[in-house]
Amino acid sequence: MAKSKTPPPSPRNARTRSRAGFWRLFFRVSAVGLVLLAGWMVYLDAIITSRFEGRRFEVPSRVYARPLELYDGASVSAAALERELALSGFRQGDGVKPGSYRRRGGQFWISTRGFRFPDGQEPRRRLTLTIAGDQVVDLRVLAGEASPIVRLEPAQIGGIYPSHQEDRILVRLDQVPPLLPAALMAVEDRHFYEHFGLAPLSIARAMLANLKAGAIVQGGSTLTQQLVKNFFLSQEQTLARKANEALMSLLLEWHYDKDDILETYLNEVYLGQAGTRSINGFGLASQFYFGESLAGLEAHQIALLVGMVKGPSYYNPRRHPERALKRRNLVLSEMEEAGLISAAEANRARGLPLGVSERPSYSENRYPAYIDLVRRHLARDYREEDLRSEGLRIFTTLNPSIQYAAEYAVRDTVPRLATGEVRDALEAAMVVTAKDTGEVLALVGGRDPAFAGFNRALDAERPIGSLIKPFIYLTALSHPDRYTLITPVRDQSFVLEFDDGRRWQPKNYDGEEHGEVPLHRALAKSYNLPAVRTGLDLGVDAVAETLQAFGVTSPISRYPSMLLGSVSMTPVTVAQIYQGLATSGFNTPLRTIREVTDAQGEPLSRYPLEVDQVADPAAVHLVQYAMQEVMQEGTGRSAYYTVPRQLTLAGKTGTTDDGRDAWFAGFSGDLLAVAWVGRDDNGPTSLTGATGALPIWARFMASLPQHSFSPVVPDGVSYHWVNDERQALTGEHCENARYMPFITGSEPEQHVSCSGALERRIRSWFEGLFQ
Amino acid sequence: MNMGRSTRVGALATLLLLAGCAGSPGSIYVPVGGGTGSTSEPPPPPRLPPASPEPEAPAPAQVPERAPSPSYRESGDTLSPAALSLVREADRLLAQGRVAEAITRLERAQRIAPRSAEVYFKLSEAYVQANQLARAEQFTLKGLSLAGNNTRLQRAGWLLLADIRRARGNVAGADQAEARAAAL
Repeated sequence: MAKSKTPPPSPRNARTRSRAGFWRLFFRVSAVGLVLLAGWMVYLDAIITSRFEGRRFEVPSRVYARPLELYDGASVSAAALERELALSGFRQGDGVKPGSYRRRGGQFWISTRGFRFPDGQEPRRRLTLTIAGDQVVDLRVLAGEASPIVRLEPAQIGGIYPSHQEDRILVRLDQVPPLLPAALMAVEDRHFYEHFGLAPLSIARAMLANLKAGAIVQGGSTLTQQLVKNFFLSQEQTLARKANEALMSLLLEWHYDKDDILETYLNEVYLGQAGTRSINGFGLASQFYFGESLAGLEAHQIALLVGMVKGPSYYNPRRHPERALKRRNLVLSEMEEAGLISAAEANRARGLPLGVSERPSYSENRYPAYIDLVRRHLARDYREEDLRSEGLRIFTTLNPSIQYAAEYAVRDTVPRLATGEVRDALEAAMVVTAKDTGEVLALVGGRDPAFAGFNRALDAERPIGSLIKPFIYLTALSHPDRYTLITPVRDQSFVLEFDDGRRWQPKNYDGEEHGEVPLHRALAKSYNLPAVRTGLDLGVDAVAETLQAFGVTSPISRYPSMLLGSVSMTPVTVAQIYQGLATSGFNTPLRTIREVTDAQGEPLSRYPLEVDQVADPAAVHLVQYAMQEVMQEGTGRSAYYTVPRQLTLAGKTGTTDDGRDAWFAGFSGDLLAVAWVGRDDNGPTSLTGATGALPIWARFMASLPQHSFSPVVPDGVSYHWVNDERQALTGEHCENARYMPFITGSEPEQHVSCSGALERRIRSWFEGLFQ
Repeated sequence: MNMGRSTRVGALATLLLLAGCAGSPGSIYVPVGGGTGSTSEPPPPPRLPPASPEPEAPAPAQVPERAPSPSYRESGDTLSPAALSLVREADRLLAQGRVAEAITRLERAQRIAPRSAEVYFKLSEAYVQANQLARAEQFTLKGLSLAGNNTRLQRAGWLLLADIRRARGNVAGADQAEARAAAL
């Protein structure tokens, strides 16, 4: 029994058992497989949903230039207006179609598209204006809301992109012209709304259609599959990848409805490349290829974009126009066959040119130095990842015309400043601000402005040399009981001995000494010795405090050599402190950003105009007098080789030892500009402020229409005819008479008459009669 | 905000619009090339002076009898019609209590007419309404620096300053400003 109880395994039994074992194994493996598959599906599901959710919202921030404001009296040349129009995406045309303009001589007809500014909608308008003498005259609104002032759409000057460098303009399905999704489905996926993510039948149908057309007009994969494929940048075509794609497509369809998938597809599909940035989605592609918004596209343009889905670089209409045209016409035929357009429409559309704008209407950070400063300002209030993904709109103060002029002045002038090795080593930087608003209008970070490298305007800290002198004399003139513009100051060398036995003996630039000179001339001619003497009389601390009040935030070492400008600053800091000199003592913080809005145009932050009085306007007015004298009689007068005489300017040269730094800082009625020239290795040059930086500055000022500098006489200042050599009031027609401002009460009391200028005096008596 | 101040600010508003219409010469506008040459851009290459030490430039060929003297003027710019339209829009917004929007209009006006005292007084008025008195005071001072010899603007500015200073608790400063207004 025991035996029978435990019979030896019979072959049959063994077979049964092994079969059972096989099934058991099979079920086990299957179960494990299913679990693995389920796990894999969960994994894929997590990937695809996170991609789907995440990607849909990662939109770069857009950076805009300031909008051009047109009104009677606005200063703009015809050439600058035309350039500005081109930058804002206007095309030459009839001036009636939105986004087009027409020019005849000085007269322009412009049809704006309208734009949503942070402070409200600027409506579409048709307008005409004339440019005469570099000013807008006779601005009239021909159609649209009447207004004496019109803003053009701002030029987009850059973007802050997600780390994967994708760029897109989000569109909503209900904003898209219906022809686009219809054409897309006709060509790519006829049964999009019926299938479950995969369409085995359409693969067969596609093959048939391709055979019929003799070319590949249809792809087998559904839009859903294509979208999934687009989510992963790799284009490898392995079986595993295909299987994954199929699974993910099913999952996507299971999670989201068709419209959601279609909308994401429209925003996601890869349609081209602009440098390192990829052009994703139809919204941006429309801008990129046609310079127009998607809503404004016509059938032939839609057909081209739809055709490009198949191979954006192969069918690139800019690089391969014939291929692209053939492809577009094929798509138009498909659209006709699907009944989306009539035969007549299709025929007409097939006859049209591609209609692609000449170059991308929108170029990658054209102004790297400026955008650099914008990003630093943004970093105070925004996180980098938000800037990269939230689709913010950043409205800057960049003025493209002025940026153009600044870049031109730098690029054109620097190579002429020296020869040989020094020429090749010379670098330059420039900062331009609006005098009364503190808005940074232009920034040049190096001699090659397009190169996004070391940004000298922001990062090159160099000794400012004589640029410090206006602050020394301002400190002095703030004590009208001790100093006036005609106070004699001694231009005579001296030795300063320090406690530790070191000696310091400052010298003039040319080594000469001029004895006693009136204060205003000491500044105009930039004599060193009177500046140091005056500064020491006031105290180094007092001068340092003036600098700090005007906006220097870094520590200032308080040595006497500071009075000759040993203190180092960046060009942007110099622009900041000169702002206060230009605006009669009002510190105006420099700004590059006016507003930031979210993607929908809702305001997030505003950076308002601020002013802060840091010096007595009366004392600053006196310094402004001497800084004008710099231009007319002093170290800056060579500017008038380039600049028209009528343009009154004020400024100051600065030079450091061995020409290591050449500076010029100055202003007109509208603009403040700072130019720096030097070498990155801090090596010597033979340049001075006047021969190195001033030529750039003057070239710049001469190329822009603007108002003369003519400060309003502040309260408590009166002008008198004086003889500055004798510190006395004098007659208007005397020799050496100058009409000079004094803080009331500080004007000289004694009077000198002039006998030696009888002829001139006689002439003056008759002047009124014959004028 | 006390009653006195609001009425004064209101009176100021009227005054500014009147002042905006009064004529006075504006700044000298210089087109490219001084208006004599062509305005084609980019400009022709510069003629650089020969390199020479500082002070460097040789005297110009035609030496005028007396050097051109530094420029100044007795009053700021008046508001252009474009700037005035923005100021009026700002006024409407202020009346509705939409201060932030009014300020954006005024900043546009300020960019167009940066040398007109009126714009700064208006900005001051807006900041008073926003209860940002420190800023309002600064804009009043800025406006005063451009009022020049226009006594109406001066008086308006000093009175505005007096009100703001009083509201900030600076009684001495307010009295001083009032005295300045009275002395005009």
